[in-house]
Amino acid sequence: MLERESALAFWLLVPTLALLTMFIAYPFVRGVWLSLTNSVVGVPGEYIGLKNFVKLWNDSIFRTAALNTFVYTGVTTVFKLALGLWLALLLNRHFRGKAWVRAFILLPFIIPTVLSTLAWKWMFDPTFSVFNWLFWKLSIINARINWLGDPELAMASISAVNIWRGVPFYAISLLAGLQTINQDLHEAAAIDGANRFQRFWYVTWPLLLPVTMVVVLFSVIQTFADFQLVYVLTGGGPANATHLFATYAYQIGIGTGLLSEGAAISLAMFPALLLVVIFQLWYIRRVENR
Amino acid sequence: MARFSRRKFLQYSGATGMAGILASHRAPVFAQASTVHWIRWNDFVPASDELLRKSILPEAMKALGIKINFETVNANDLQPRITSAIQSGAGPDIVMLNNNHPQLYAASCADVSDVAEAVAKAQGAYYKLARSNSHDGKKFISVPWSVIGAQIAYRKSWFEEVGFSKFPETWEQYRDAGKKLKAKGRPIGQTLGHTFGDSPTFSYPFLWSYGGREVDEKGKLALDSKATVESVRFMTAFWKDAHDEGGLAWDDSNNNRAFLSGTICATLNGASIYIESLRKADQYKTEKGAQLKSDILHAPLPKGPAGQFAMHTFHSHVIPAYSKNQKAAKQFLTWMHTRENYEKWFVSQKGFATPPTPSWEKHKMWDEDPVMAPYRVAGRLGLTPGHAGPSDRKAAEALTKYIITDMYAKAIQGGTPEAAVKWAAGELKSIYG
Amino acid sequence: MIEGAGWKKWLWFYLPMGMFILGLLFPFYWMLVTTLKPDGELYRPWNHPLYSPFWTSAPTFDHIKSLLTETLFGTWMWNTMLIALAATLISLFCGVIAGYALARLRFRWAGLLGTAIFITYLVPQTLLFIPLADIIREYNIGDTPWALILTYPTFLIPFCTWLMMGYFKTIPKELEECARIDGATRWQAMVYIILPIALPGILSAGIFAFTLSWNEFIYALVFLSSPEQKTVPVGVTSELIRGDVFFWGSLMAGALLGSIPVAFVYSFFVEHYVAGMTGSVKG
Repeated sequence: MLERESALAFWLLVPTLALLTMFIAYPFVRGVWLSLTNSVVGVPGEYIGLKNFVKLWNDSIFRTAALNTFVYTGVTTVFKLALGLWLALLLNRHFRGKAWVRAFILLPFIIPTVLSTLAWKWMFDPTFSVFNWLFWKLSIINARINWLGDPELAMASISAVNIWRGVPFYAISLLAGLQTINQDLHEAAAIDGANRFQRFWYVTWPLLLPVTMVVVLFSVIQTFADFQLVYVLTGGGPANATHLFATYAYQIGIGTGLLSEGAAISLAMFPALLLVVIFQLWYIRRVENR
Repeated sequence: MARFSRRKFLQYSGATGMAGILASHRAPVFAQASTVHWIRWNDFVPASDELLRKSILPEAMKALGIKINFETVNANDLQPRITSAIQSGAGPDIVMLNNNHPQLYAASCADVSDVAEAVAKAQGAYYKLARSNSHDGKKFISVPWSVIGAQIAYRKSWFEEVGFSKFPETWEQYRDAGKKLKAKGRPIGQTLGHTFGDSPTFSYPFLWSYGGREVDEKGKLALDSKATVESVRFMTAFWKDAHDEGGLAWDDSNNNRAFLSGTICATLNGASIYIESLRKADQYKTEKGAQLKSDILHAPLPKGPAGQFAMHTFHSHVIPAYSKNQKAAKQFLTWMHTRENYEKWFVSQKGFATPPTPSWEKHKMWDEDPVMAPYRVAGRLGLTPGHAGPSDRKAAEALTKYIITDMYAKAIQGGTPEAAVKWAAGELKSIYG
Repeated sequence: MIEGAGWKKWLWFYLPMGMFILGLLFPFYWMLVTTLKPDGELYRPWNHPLYSPFWTSAPTFDHIKSLLTETLFGTWMWNTMLIALAATLISLFCGVIAGYALARLRFRWAGLLGTAIFITYLVPQTLLFIPLADIIREYNIGDTPWALILTYPTFLIPFCTWLMMGYFKTIPKELEECARIDGATRWQAMVYIILPIALPGILSAGIFAFTLSWNEFIYALVFLSSPEQKTVPVGVTSELIRGDVFFWGSLMAGALLGSIPVAFVYSFFVEHYVAGMTGSVKG
């Protein structure tokens, strides 16, 4: 009986395993090999050990990209969680048009990132920005704000677009989590004299934590490896100030044709990502076992 | 139940989709006469692309009996395109590249000496800058196509208002004029972003005009010098005093749009701003209501302590080695470069592009519009990246990584000139070894 | 259920809700207005006296027309649809049966394989695209839709698998056991009893996978070359950004029209989409 189960299981898993081996495992190994050579486009190159990684370590642009990726992921996750939670709490009430609102607010997440980011790029345009116009009309500013041309502002701008895109995902997922919380618990707490805030902190939040952690995990993985948003909005500029691991890997690997260096940059992403994920998984285990 | 039928719909459409893919995947195999896939940039003079599509290419197809698939992309995407094409082993047959980029792909491109030397024989030896960008020391790796002259386009009336009836001759004078104009809300507009055209053609000659250079005549790295630091120091102050500070994020089209909408007074550019103002003479007006084209003049970059220099964007075509249509591609390039055919394209450019051989300097098109006169000799005057060394693979890598441009951009964003120069020198060292 | 005085309702509910809706949806309105604005109005600088961003006095369809006639936008739509559907079907097929195997069958490697599939999700596309380009070339599928149809499932399958695992776990084992007592094989029990019940889950996974395929960019950017092969995201960003002057109108038209199919499919299946998204998070 057990034997038949494992036979069936084998056959059921073969397509998945075949595809994932051919197009993930195998390229991953080749990517590691590539990063240890000095291959450039059209020239296979030869083994040079860890020289690429040493070069990267001394490359200030790489260090900027690494720092940017961590800051970008950290900051946007915090905001997405806070705003997403707030929106979820708002949506948890009953009001007219709730179904419509719930459907519409997911649009930023549904629409292909590249397309919605283009709209933002136009809104941030140095000469024709609608935000500049708005602030100017409201007499808040006198001179143009350089949304994408000033290094710090550019980081803020890409973070803003990422937050805009991610809030709906957080909101809807957390909403689903909120809806599984038994209302009786809230009423009991209210009867015991807890105010709104205390009810949230002591009843809602702990029960929401498992869902929250999973959402955060997914989101962190996506954001850490983000490419499209920065590619479209700033291309990594101005003067490399907004590069992330992914965009810098693309610029060096495909833009300049230095494939092995590009592969090294991509690979550098992996240990960091792995650490972040392991930490989160450990935290989730802890929360679940409480 | 409604859900179930939707699911079936998805399944059926998926099945027809699959059939469609298989069919479309098969079809090209049957329809394969010689097709040459030619990829160029989106020309800054759109009229030329139209001319190619509507009359020149159909003529070529008839004359040569091949099909030509003409594609245009953003010039900054040419490099990623050829890299991914070489990597995936399939892609365009003729690829246009900027400046000395062909040197980066020399190992994966066919030898085109036969085509290039035939053109040189018929139309005169190539300009030095054309040859050094296209030749790797042993053979021609790309066929020179054109030189895009870069000049400063400026508003004559505005400069007159601040006391400059002739365009400023030195950087100090230019900065002075720019400062006065910026105070009136009309700054100089220049990009120092990662864009192939306007950034290097500004930053490299600026560096050279102060005596700075990447490599000296003996081939040693020479960037870290007092001259370079001086140039960076000046640029930082110059930028803040006289430039639109958003320029750090501009690409090659932002300055065009800014100039045409009257927000900047001067910018280094190819002739596309002026040509566009001619094309839509009634759409672009000065603030006094006159046609903008009457207020635009061109001037070369100002002099620095070490002289006056220029770098002009160079275009050439490579034939990648993966191409299965190399013979047809070479045939087409030869046809395209014959005098009668190339001339049609050249005239449509109205002087935006200069041919790579000197025999075209005498062409009567140059006599038509005096505003365009400076562009006639662009091919002769420009220097190449990697100066004073050759424009080879290492210079190409430095160019493509925007090291010189970033050196200036970094200093402007904060930090000392010395630090920026040290950074750039370090980056060059890791390339040149 | 909204307690409190009238003004409190406004402050704590309507105002924030309004701001969220405005903030989340404004860019789409902006896309729409820009698409319909003629070039003359579009290129007035931000501090020009006649700058009117939120509406246009002379709406035009020129941008949409030039998008559809001067570029291969129609072809890109077709390509993207095809690739998304094919990749979704492959991923669903693999994900459903893999999910079933991992959720319902007992065998030695179940835990390990489940973790392995999870690990592959951690490997971002931006890590693999360079070596994958080599492999795509070796299999000779560069610059064809197959390059994407075969690689998209790599990030769709893990997701579909988890989702289906979650669904399968909620189906009582008794159903299968009844079927087997009645003489059905394991395979028959799976196909005829379990799958129909898991249909909502399959639909949810399918919709989510479909939208994820539309959203993919870097593989499409690197593996496809010819304009006829491109997908909408790649086509819009690469071919509508012409070197000089005036393109925002067509660009926004492309962004708008490119978003419509996904939004359309999504609108039909909102419930399933949300169920899919939340199911994966809870499961």
